[in-house]
This record gives sequence, C-alpha cells and structure tokens, in this order.
Amino acid sequence: MSLEQRLKVYRLTEAEYKKICLLLGREPKGVEWAIFSALWSEHCSYKSSKVHLKKFYNKNDRVLESFGENAGVIDLGEGERVAFKMESHNHPSFISPHQGAATGVGGILRDIFTMGARPIALANYLCFGEPKVEVMPHLVDGVVRGIADYGNCVGVPMVTGHTEFNASYNGNILVNAFALGYFGPEDRVFTSGARGIGNYVVYVGAKTGRDGVHGASMASESFDEKNEGKKPTVQIGDPFMEKLLIESCLEVMKEDLVESIQDMGAAGITSSSFEMAAKGKVGLNIDLQKVPMRQSGLTPEEILLSESQERMLLMCTPEKFARLKEIFNRWDLDAEVIGEVIEGSQIKIHWGAELLTELNPVDVVDHAPEYKRQYSEYKSVNKREKIAPSKFDKFTFRAAENINLCSRDWIFNQYDQRVGASTAADCSQSVGVVELPHSGRPLGIALGCRPPMMRTDIQLGAYDAIAYPSLQLSSKGLQPLAVTDCLNFGNPEKPELMTEFVASVEALSKACEAFDTPVISGNVSLYNETLDKNVTSTPATGVVGLGHSMEKVPKDEFCVEGERAFLLRCELWSGNFYSADAYNFPVEFTGDWDKEKVTQFAKDLQEYVNEFGPSTSNVVGKMGALFELMTMSQSGFSVHLDKPLADSMCAERLYEVIVTAKSGDEFKSFWQKRNVEYFDLGKVMAEPLKVDGNLVDAHWTSEPFHKQLGLE
Amino acid sequence: MGSDRKPIGILRFLGTNCDRDIWKAVQSVGLEPQWLWYQDRFDPEDYSGFVVPGGFSYGDYVRSGALASLAPVLGCLKEANEKGMPILGICNGFQILCESGLLPGALLKNESTRFIDKWVKLKRVNASPYFSSNEEINIPIAHGEGRFYCGESTLKELQDREQIWLRYSDNPNGSVDDIAGILNANKNVAGLMPHPERAMKKWMGTSDGYSFFASLADGGLQ
Repeated sequence: MSLEQRLKVYRLTEAEYKKICLLLGREPKGVEWAIFSALWSEHCSYKSSKVHLKKFYNKNDRVLESFGENAGVIDLGEGERVAFKMESHNHPSFISPHQGAATGVGGILRDIFTMGARPIALANYLCFGEPKVEVMPHLVDGVVRGIADYGNCVGVPMVTGHTEFNASYNGNILVNAFALGYFGPEDRVFTSGARGIGNYVVYVGAKTGRDGVHGASMASESFDEKNEGKKPTVQIGDPFMEKLLIESCLEVMKEDLVESIQDMGAAGITSSSFEMAAKGKVGLNIDLQKVPMRQSGLTPEEILLSESQERMLLMCTPEKFARLKEIFNRWDLDAEVIGEVIEGSQIKIHWGAELLTELNPVDVVDHAPEYKRQYSEYKSVNKREKIAPSKFDKFTFRAAENINLCSRDWIFNQYDQRVGASTAADCSQSVGVVELPHSGRPLGIALGCRPPMMRTDIQLGAYDAIAYPSLQLSSKGLQPLAVTDCLNFGNPEKPELMTEFVASVEALSKACEAFDTPVISGNVSLYNETLDKNVTSTPATGVVGLGHSMEKVPKDEFCVEGERAFLLRCELWSGNFYSADAYNFPVEFTGDWDKEKVTQFAKDLQEYVNEFGPSTSNVVGKMGALFELMTMSQSGFSVHLDKPLADSMCAERLYEVIVTAKSGDEFKSFWQKRNVEYFDLGKVMAEPLKVDGNLVDAHWTSEPFHKQLGLE
Repeated sequence: MGSDRKPIGILRFLGTNCDRDIWKAVQSVGLEPQWLWYQDRFDPEDYSGFVVPGGFSYGDYVRSGALASLAPVLGCLKEANEKGMPILGICNGFQILCESGLLPGALLKNESTRFIDKWVKLKRVNASPYFSSNEEINIPIAHGEGRFYCGESTLKELQDREQIWLRYSDNPNGSVDDIAGILNANKNVAGLMPHPERAMKKWMGTSDGYSFFASLADGGLQ
C-alpha cells in the first residue's frame, strides 16, 4: 500500500503523519496505524474544538468532576450527587437508525455507571428533516424504536425529550442522548486513571466482534452518496447485556473491588486502555489474545478498533480478582485478565508471545493534534433596531401542515417513562422530574437549543439554549445547577461554520456563567454535513435543577378550577422564530441579552412557585402566548379570558411565563415589587378555551404528527 | 400493619428491572421484602407472599417470560401455589406466571406492534382476596407484549369462574375481552399488565396502586 493510500484508509492527513513520525522517531508500523487513526480522529481527540472548549465556564463549588472523566458530577448536598452527560450518535443513526439510536442510549448509560452512579433518568434530543423526504419516516420510526427498545429494556425511565424538524437535517439527522445517574450518601465516585503497579487489567462484559471497526473515524467524516457501504461500521446493541453490566458493575463497586474503570466506547479497547494509562501516568501490558472473542479469525487490528457494545475495562488488585469474577459470572458475564499495570510509561500490546507495539500513551492521547481552525467574529445579520414582530391570525395555525407545531406524544408514549417508580413529571411536561431516593427532593431535567432561534441568530440561539431550559426549571420551582451539552455542527474546515461554532461556545459560556450553571460534561459532533450542506448549528443542552418538595411541582397544563391565570413577561428579544418557519415571515429579531434581567426573573419565579405553590406554571414556547394557552388548555381546563385577546399574544417574545395563582392579590403583591410586566388573563375553568367569543379546538396539536409521516 | 408478618419474596431474574420498585412498594406498606434470586430454592413457609416483578427478564428473548419460567425458583413458587399462598405477577411477572402455567392464557405483542406507556383506567370485575383494589383504578401501563389472549373455551371458563380480575375501560393493546388482569381458579394467584407500584403517591399521578400492596400487609381480605 502506498503512503497516500494508507493515509486515506486510516483517515490521517500528511501533516498528522509527519507528527506521528516525529513523536515515534520512526515510521508507524502495523497496528500503530490503527491506534493513531482512532485516537486522532475528530471524535476521540476533539482536535478542532478543544482550543475553544477550554473557554467554557465549568467550575463552581458544586462541581466534583468535570471534563476529563466519563461524565461530570455535581454535589446536591445531603450526601447526594449526580453524574450526567449528553452525547451524539448522529452518523450511525443516519446509516442504521434503529441500531444507531439504540447504541447511543447504551453508550451514554455506560458513561454514567462507569462512574459508580446508578442511572435514574434518560432524555433525548432529536432533529429530523422534512416529513416529505422519502427516507424520513423510516428514520423517525427507526430512531424512536431504537431508543425505546434499549431504554425500556435496561429499565431507565425516559423523562424528557425535544424533537425538531427542518430541511437542514434532510441529509444528516441529529440523535443526542442524555443520561443521569445517582450517588447515594454511601456511594463512591469512581474514576478512570489506571493505578497500582501489578494490578490486573480486566475485560468485562460482552465478547468482542467485528462490529463498529473504524466507527470513530467514520463519525468524523462528512456523508456522501455512498453511505450504504458504511453499515458495517455501525455497532449492534444488546440492552439485556447492558442491564447485566449495570447491575454487576455497581455490585463490584459497592464491594470496593475496583481501582479504576472506563467503558469501551468509541475506538473500543484502544481508547479505554490508552486514556486510562495516560491519565494514570503508568504503563500497561496487554495481550490481545486474551480478549474474549465472539468469532474466530479476528485480527489484532480488528480487536483494537472493534466497537462491540456493552464492554468495560477495569483495574483491580490481584487479591480481589476472584471475588470480582464470581460476581460477574453470577450475572452471566465474562471477566478476564488481559494484562497488568506496569512501571514506566509504555503500553505494550502483545499477540500471544509476539510484541506488536510499544507506545507511550501520552504521545498518542495528550499529543494529539490540536487545530486552530480559521474563523472570524460573528456578525448578526438578522438583528434590527426595532421591529414589530409579525402577528399571525389566531385561527389559522398551520398545525396540520407544520409538524413542528404538533404534540410529540406519539413518540414519547413508546418510551417507558415511569420505571424506577420515581417519575413525577414525564415527557408530556416541559421539565422531566424524578425523586431523589435519599432526600426525597425533586430533580428536574430540561433540554435546550431551539434550532429556529439558531437560524435567526447564532448568539441569540446559544443564549436561549441555556436561558430557556433554566427558566423552564425555574417555572417548576427548581434551581438550575449545571449543564451538559452536545455541540452538533457542520464542517469545521469551513471558516463560516467555525465562526458559528466559536460564537456559540462563547455565548453558551456567558449564559452559563450568568446562571451559575457550569458546563460539566459534553460532546462535540462535527462534520454534520451531506454533499456540502450543513445542518443548522445545533448546540443541544441539558440543564439539571433541584427543588424542595415533590408535592409542589406545578403542571404545564391548567388543572385546578378557580385559580387565576397570569402572563408574566420579561422581554429580552422579540422576533420571528418558529413563526418564520411556519408562516414564511421575515427572519428578523430585535433586543439584547440582559444577564441581570433574565437571571433575576429566574430567581423570582423559583421563589414565587415555592412560596405560593401554583398548580400550573409554564414557560411560553414556540409561536407565542396564545399557542401556549391552547396547548395548556387540552386538559379539560382553560382560562376564561376576561378581555379581548391582545395582539402581543400572537407574537414570539422571549421570555414569557403563564402561571396561576390561588389568590390574585398575593400574586400581584409579589410581582408588583419586581421588574417584570404581568397581565391578568382570567379564571381557570373546567371548559374549553374561547378566544374573543370563539371556541378554539386545540386538539389538532396531537393528531397530525404521525399522519404527516405516514406512520401508524 | 403487618410488621410481625413473614417477609414478602420478590423474584429476580437476569434482566428484571422493576425489582427495586417492588422492594420500595412492599416496604412502604410496612412489610419486609426479601430477594429470591432465579437460581434460589426456598421454603414457601418462610414467606407470607410473593411478587414477580416486571421488566424484561432475559431481555424478552425467545418470548417474554418464556426463559424465566424455566428457572429453578419457579419450582418453589409452584409449591407455594399448591399451599394456596398469595402470588402477584406484574407486567413481565404476569407473562412469567402465564408461561409457567400458574395462570391461563398468554400475552402477545400489542396490536399496534409498538411499546405503549400511558395511564389507563381499569374496572375491577371480580375481587381478589389478597390484592385489594378500588372498583375504579387509574394506574399506568408500560409494555410491548401486553395483549392478553386465550382461546374461547378458556375465556368462558375465566368468565364463569369469576377469574377476570381487571378490565381496561379503553382497551390499549387489543386484549381479549378488555382483560388487564386475571386470577387463578383458587384466587390466590393474580396477574396484571399495569404497574400499581408506579402509582403509590399523589405526585406519581395517583395513589391507586397502594391498595394492591397494603392488603398483603393485612393478610388478605378473606
């Protein structure tokens, strides 16, 4: 094979090849090509984004672990901690939607329980193309079934989700999975740095097969017409095996049998062994022939690059191995010693008696290339000094034609949202809420990033990706604490894309600092482009918040007759966002980020909800206040509107909240003192919504979703 | 309350995922839960009742409940049944009881072929002496294979012998005769697809599931 061919096969550039030669003092040989290919892929090395990710606001007193471990961990007080993270599985899900989405769930769960946390909640953020695109119904159906099959079987509840449709995702869908795990007062946080000379390197879980070989480098490439040929690079998941792995790993951790542990994710055994050794600053001796194999005839290179699922690598002291193996075997899983921790700084990879390579993990992991891709300062093009946001006719919502206005219940009714018996607010609500086992406090999860906002303005969209979910949590009386993100962007080698990436990271970070919600974990997915067309820049976020009382979490919808409903308005921006998509209104906006105003509003909301316990509290979402009022009125209760509808209720303003009050006077005396406008809407009644005397049938928001996709 | 009563055995198979939820539910009514691992053999006399929890034993491979029904622990559960002891199977637990012959009928893939998670309204048709419930119950389902099926003669028997325990008000999965839960002829074994352990407190949605466990603590209604 010529050098040129080899570089193509291993997806390395000539400059990267030269750097390898410099680090090694010689040409790479044999399996070393595969090792560098995997670990220097965009997916594993973050080589285009690392320099910017360092800018994230990522620490405060609550943060126990942030970037560097498999997931971030925050302290909730009362001895409780949670680990959480969000990760993309975009490329595999486009090639093979069912398996791609399923293994996305499996992978994110392993990132959580490898820390010693029991997974207690899942969430997902999905972006699809237009329903009319031929392959789209198949993709939607496959992704939803894949997530359902995996999450339902492992028994972790899906508590919230966000799904968007837009033409920019026609050739490259986004599938981002979020998982959160719990540490009780007795539980220890486990980390991945290898340690203890003489300790065993133990392989546990499923056997290794040929699936997913070269998966990491595939995920670091743009799509072309030949995606079919990429199917063998997609991994196959087995949720039953994952469930056994969760229970057995948590059991050996509880018995304190483990020194360090990491899951085998992208680039499988290569990334886990090299990263663990680099972090622990020790050497490893590994014999690939000892790896449990599913099929015969696997080459060392295939074993190194296999992305077979449901596998973990751990280190334990030799004395504890027998007990450890006994526990794994009781759960019907393999646990085999494949090597040991050695002095020095070399990983020696053997194939039986033959030494295949000897590499310094620091060279491979810490000296991976870091690119300063070209970008420029972001300039808002759609910002105006002043606009009157376009007002739409209140009776012509185009839900039947616009899938973004439909309810997502068809999707989330396929997910087990209540296993664990701790779900207080399921996917039908804007915030997923579970009970913390030890303290009994509510923990909320809200997802952010609204692509129409990103299309209008990158900075506005990125601020909104933090502010909107933080306000949603606040509307439930929960204090936002920390953030994970999944940055889905196009090709970083294009300066205009890199400009959007950098502007997003900076705005996200500023918003995180304003809310004091550090980014504790995340993932970057680049090259989301097909045939030169990039997806909408989509920095998806997951924000986690904490409250006081399970009984006091308000609902999105109206549910108690006799309460008084109000609209609160804390306006930073107004413009055409979802309405630009739905009505072809001009894409424009006005207003500015105002950190004091929006964070004070969040605090006031939390205080109001906790002090007065309203039954209903909900942040206005897409299309403005009237649309929200209609969706909130599908419960059989609605507001008896006292006055003719104000024009401003048919326009998009960020931010508004519709909230009820047991007593209108209490409400007014609380909010009068605050820098927030409010409007008295009327009384909650057990009747359908009437606007200006006309009955509004809001039922259409749920019906047309699957019909537009032609799915049953 | 029944704190002086013998423990409730909770069966655990590889892949069971509602086991910890049942543990919490049993504790919350003041009873002592105890694990029964799928390879265990036990003396029924050491327990006051048994719950077979839901959740993908053996990943639902072959057929939901089929592999679990062959586990050693089922042999002892059958002995407990011969002694007339109370046994409750929920969701996958119901499937396991049917597969092992402790209850008649079978549970097939939902008519929609999709997994369904939602709140359902149930009507109690005949009372179980051990697992009490209100006449109208609102608790959630979560299953992919929950369509109760049996032949006509079995259905007639179930109807005649008052073995139909619970019916859906609005059949979500295509079950024969809207059946959500049944009893054996002796009425000591009960199985249902919906999940009472997920409706124990108001913040979960309803507390209609509480009575399913509370009655075990009272030693049954007799």
